[in-house]
Amino acid sequence: MAKASKYFEFKQCVSIVKATGQQAKNLKELRKLIASVGDESILHHTHQYFIKGHMLDYTNDFSQWAGEYLEERALAERLTSIDPYTLKSITAVRKELIREIDAFLDAFPEPRDVTSGNEFYFNETINLVFPVGVKTKNLAEFLVALEHVDSGSIYYHFYDSRIRLGEGAVDDFSRWIEHTLGRKNLADSIRAIDPFMHSIESIRSHIKNVVEEYVRADMEGVAT
Amino acid sequence: MIRQYSGIAPKGDLQLIQNLCRKLKGKSFLHINSTREGGGVAEILNRMIPLLQDLSIDARWEVIEGDARFFDFTKKVHNALQGNKEAFTKKMWDYYYEVNKRNRKNLNLVADAVLIHDPQPAPLIDYRPRSKKTIWMWRCHIDISNPMQGCWSNLKKHIVKYDTAIFSVTKFSKSLPIHEYIVTPSIDPLSDKNRDLTVEEINEVADRFNIPRDKPIILQVSRFDRFKDPIGVINAYKIVKNYNDCRLILVGSSATDDPEGEAILNEVRDYASDDPDILILLLPPDHHTEINAIQRMSDIILQKSIKEGFGLTVSEAMWKEKPVIGGAVGGIPLQIVHGVTGFVVYSVEGAAYRIRQYLNNPELAKEMGRTGKEYVRNNFLLTRQIRDYLSLWYCSSVRGNKKVFEL
Repeated sequence: MAKASKYFEFKQCVSIVKATGQQAKNLKELRKLIASVGDESILHHTHQYFIKGHMLDYTNDFSQWAGEYLEERALAERLTSIDPYTLKSITAVRKELIREIDAFLDAFPEPRDVTSGNEFYFNETINLVFPVGVKTKNLAEFLVALEHVDSGSIYYHFYDSRIRLGEGAVDDFSRWIEHTLGRKNLADSIRAIDPFMHSIESIRSHIKNVVEEYVRADMEGVAT
Repeated sequence: MIRQYSGIAPKGDLQLIQNLCRKLKGKSFLHINSTREGGGVAEILNRMIPLLQDLSIDARWEVIEGDARFFDFTKKVHNALQGNKEAFTKKMWDYYYEVNKRNRKNLNLVADAVLIHDPQPAPLIDYRPRSKKTIWMWRCHIDISNPMQGCWSNLKKHIVKYDTAIFSVTKFSKSLPIHEYIVTPSIDPLSDKNRDLTVEEINEVADRFNIPRDKPIILQVSRFDRFKDPIGVINAYKIVKNYNDCRLILVGSSATDDPEGEAILNEVRDYASDDPDILILLLPPDHHTEINAIQRMSDIILQKSIKEGFGLTVSEAMWKEKPVIGGAVGGIPLQIVHGVTGFVVYSVEGAAYRIRQYLNNPELAKEMGRTGKEYVRNNFLLTRQIRDYLSLWYCSSVRGNKKVFEL
């Protein structure tokens, strides 16, 4: 195996939720607030959805609310198909959300109110990022560390990197594996894991399996 | 002290607590509430203050004093904030302010960060020492999603003078001109209520309370209160009995000072009549180990509330790897991710259906229990709450409007 020249330093992200005090009880109110709330709030309800650690039916808070509380499943499906990581900016995500809601309101202009207590509450977060004291220099160490770190660390390197590093960004793991370890094929295998279809624990286990398989093949001299 | 949580709480939370304490080393953190014993706030402060002191934070805990007239009034405020109709007079509010003013003379309010818990000491904000570098936070532990408006308006006059308000659940937050953060409550995994017990300890409790272990046990632990729906729990159990054999245990604290509680207890006893598989236990409020043991010997744990604050009994049950079923109210849906860490229900029939589902799918019950424990580990342990308070203090002490803080 090629020797790495740089360490991979595991970090972790902890988010504290901040309430904006804004809430919507129906789709029209939701649309109005999506158009006016700060970027941090849109980011929290879309990009940061996976920090929760579990998978539900949909992949952002807006679609989850539309499906679960408004019971507008077609709308929920359309909202869930918006991929915030491939869109260039928060503005683009906001536009997409509004476009889908407007299209739905054109067809169904009188949406009903949710029952009291089930309103959509717009939040944002403040985030604290800190090193967890684990550095790895090769795949064997990386595998041990991957099992050891908290789920917040997996979130930070697998999801947050896509926000942090800007347009076209991928996860931190595959970047290090490609650029430092020079293992492009392994990096591609990690990038092939669909970020929308797994819980964080499932992401951890997928990466572990992919890397383990690669290391085994490498030991047998068949890794590419 | 923090080492006691090693291997129990998430590593990252413990690291962040230590990291923040290093940054805030020597600074003072004052907490003020209205009782030294009893209730969740005192329970958390009893643990948190020594832990912070151990990490070189000058943490202090002060308690305001008041007479029966003061506490009768603040009890009314508590109820009104939860949506009950109460009668208030200007004289009452004046007395509330007066008691706080009197308390101020006995309290040292000089601290880098001050966290005032609940409405009782809220007016102390008027006596904040003049220094720009301090932060004053008001922590609301009550469900104020639907308050009596007049009462909230009066209290709000004090709250808006704080730098920050902290609520337990987003839907309890208000539209305020100050920062508002969400910090969920927590359980202490090392307390008698939640610590690991030996098989002998569990068996001893079963023997002492004559609890047979021959059938699956369905449990609800709660006060005998209409909002906890004990009759609904019995009805759900009766439906289940048509299909699956089991026992039902309802455990509550004795409530001699609560006439309504006693009436409901009698109603529940009558309703259970002479069903030998229903066990109703009244325990003194300090029987934490006993409740822990009964939770651990149970197979399914319910919190079928129809109104709830946060409902931490759900996290307590999940921490013990029990499959849970809870009413879709208050903070219960935050703890029970439906179909992932348990089931949220909306009716007696729903509760019965989910009990049967667990009883007939032991693997599902086991998996939900396992997932539930990890969910509590990551979200509802005391260390996470301490982490959040320190994070808010630290982030508030840094100038500017930063959203990401690299430590």
